[in-house]
Amino acid sequence: MSAPGRRHETLAALGFLAPNFIGFLVFTAGPLLFSLAVSFSNWSLQQNIPFQWTGAENYGELAKDKQFWIYFVNTIYMMLGMPVAIAGSLVCALLLAQRLRGIVVYRTLFYLPTFVNGVALMILWKALYNPSFGPINAVLDWGLQMLHIPAKAPQWLLSTANLFGLDPQELAVTWTKFGLGARDALIIMGIWIAIGGNNMLLYLAALTNVPQELTEAAQIDGAGRWAVFRHVTWPQLAPTTFFIVVMSFIGAFQGGFEQARVMTNGGPSGTTTTLSYYIYTKAFEEFQIGYASAISWVLFAIIFVVTMINWKFGSESWNE
Amino acid sequence: MKYVFLGSFAFLSLLSGIAWFIQPEHQRHDRVPLIWVSDPNPARREQVSVFNDLHSQYDLKLDPNNSGMAKVIVQSLAGVGPDIFDCYGGFDLSGYVKAGVAWDVTDELAKGEIHPLQDCWPGSFSVFVLDGRVYGMPTNVSVNAIWYNKDIFDACGVPYPKGECTWEQFIPLAQKLTVKDENGRPKHFGLLADWWGWKQFVYQYGGRVYSEDGTRCVLDSPEAIAGMQLFHDLMYKYRVMPSPSDEQNMATTGGWGSGTITLFSGGRGAMAVGGRWWLCTLRDNKKLRLGVMPAPFGPKKVYWAYGRASLVNKNSPHRREALDFLRYLAGREYNDLINHQADALAPLKKYCYTPEYLHDPEFPNEDYNDVWRDIMRYGVPEEISPFVDGHAAGRLIDKQLDLVRSDEESVEKAMRNAARQVNGEIQKTLARDPQLRERYERTVGGERP
Repeated sequence: MSAPGRRHETLAALGFLAPNFIGFLVFTAGPLLFSLAVSFSNWSLQQNIPFQWTGAENYGELAKDKQFWIYFVNTIYMMLGMPVAIAGSLVCALLLAQRLRGIVVYRTLFYLPTFVNGVALMILWKALYNPSFGPINAVLDWGLQMLHIPAKAPQWLLSTANLFGLDPQELAVTWTKFGLGARDALIIMGIWIAIGGNNMLLYLAALTNVPQELTEAAQIDGAGRWAVFRHVTWPQLAPTTFFIVVMSFIGAFQGGFEQARVMTNGGPSGTTTTLSYYIYTKAFEEFQIGYASAISWVLFAIIFVVTMINWKFGSESWNE
Repeated sequence: MKYVFLGSFAFLSLLSGIAWFIQPEHQRHDRVPLIWVSDPNPARREQVSVFNDLHSQYDLKLDPNNSGMAKVIVQSLAGVGPDIFDCYGGFDLSGYVKAGVAWDVTDELAKGEIHPLQDCWPGSFSVFVLDGRVYGMPTNVSVNAIWYNKDIFDACGVPYPKGECTWEQFIPLAQKLTVKDENGRPKHFGLLADWWGWKQFVYQYGGRVYSEDGTRCVLDSPEAIAGMQLFHDLMYKYRVMPSPSDEQNMATTGGWGSGTITLFSGGRGAMAVGGRWWLCTLRDNKKLRLGVMPAPFGPKKVYWAYGRASLVNKNSPHRREALDFLRYLAGREYNDLINHQADALAPLKKYCYTPEYLHDPEFPNEDYNDVWRDIMRYGVPEEISPFVDGHAAGRLIDKQLDLVRSDEESVEKAMRNAARQVNGEIQKTLARDPQLRERYERTVGGERP
């Protein structure tokens, strides 16, 4: 192609890219850099506090902010459901990859929670978690009674109890807090939503790409179902699993806002407040925009480091 | 291909042009548009309608979708805020003033012979007065009394309560009216109360949230602890009030949803602590036979007053026109309408001393309006501290009170923790705000925090 032709083509390409690129600069990159700058300032929406560059003061304060660390632990705790959700997605995908009559209906049903409005789902789960008359505790109470276990079903969204006995006030373990509470309730709900979600679709797509000849060769060599899965299917799914794990970590660090806003207001006693909800309260309730931006960037750094670790170890095992 | 793109562009442009041409007229060009951000209470529609009828030069529109402090402040600072917005608490007012979006209308109102500090209920001052300056007009005001369900009293063979009483005198009555069904589940409780009304208990036992000069949180005082202890004991010691778990259970079994008003309306409580504004909901239940008595008190006979005020956006191009809305709030039409709608009490005292207020011909059964007016005299406004952000302090306090509410922490320990944490937050705020720090030091007599 001649030089003017190439130039013409480049200009046309830039023209087509321009709307997207300008949108990205104005609505994504711009605010992102702005928030980074703001995180080094005391910017609030209060006119009586003069704007000042405060250097790394916000970050220093953050390190000493006990609430931040408690909510950070909450965020990590909420990730407990992640392996279960991923494993559940894989099992569902394996089941839904079968060639059965009406399998499309099953696939749609499993994917339904992803279609349904999140707020509606959360209100429904709030009713399910009713301590005495919700169906979950009705089943649990019946089970405990049948097994003659002298225990009561959990108080779920009303309780600060948790599996590790974490204290809601301090970064400490308190033996009275062992049990199931609001955090666990949100984890279980999250697992239910995630199992039939996008991860399942990704696994379904990946399963269709597993070469049939490998499976057949293994079967001819006498491999059973489990051996075929363990030595053929699972390794072939490694890139997808790696992608899902990375995305799940990112999602989990950023998550928890909707549940806290709709179901618990971050309570009881702050136990369901995650970092994303903390950012919201700092920025839009207390108007400490600078401080909230600093938390956002620390959250970004955490996600970045975790993703890098995932990338390093995950991609190594993938290459193996 | 480029003809396809050009054709598409032309087609879309044409469609946009048609849409623009045929769009419904959003505002009447012969009237000045005024936007009022308030809650979606159905009563607002009539309040807007009366204003528009009285002021043919304006087209007032309600915008309930942009309520919330964050939205109002951000939009107002960006120049796209409402002309008038509602404020629901002292800390919110402080936030609006600090953000520079609330217009100081002290002098403007005085020019129009409107003197809210003389004419309005003192209990409402915290939502529109800050440091002696007036930033709006109260739209309504309320203190809580005791609603009682006459049918439950009749069924239990208990005479209707009359006159005033202390909490000690009240508890045996509530115990008589707490009844369980054959399965041991609560049929109805003697008393229902919203947890957010905890301040009333603290005030009645002589406690305060902040010291008088606002420099310290004093929730750890013996008086504040005693008040909160009573609130806790009503649930867990005397068992006349539902715990959070009981409340959820009743909501599901009854099918009325949650919330104290709905529980009371559904017959799940013989009595309930609530304001006159409950009538906006209770009037829908035609079968309910209601009575009202003054809320019990502790060592101090005070009631926590709360309300709403409308403020004018300082950055609005129509802020002068919006003053007419404040004048409307100070007028007879609006105040009579509030009393008639039972959207709490009219903000101006004198309109609660009319025969129409006492006996509204449309609601002849409501023979208890004198109670609301009489106890309003004991209403005290919400305490605020200028040295801490109300939302930050509220979050810390709520965190502790959540533990008290679920009986996971002793009242004393929770209140001490709350006071300690809020005082820590005050110090953080002072470190961020040099001007405020100076004011703090002046207030405490040069003593550095």
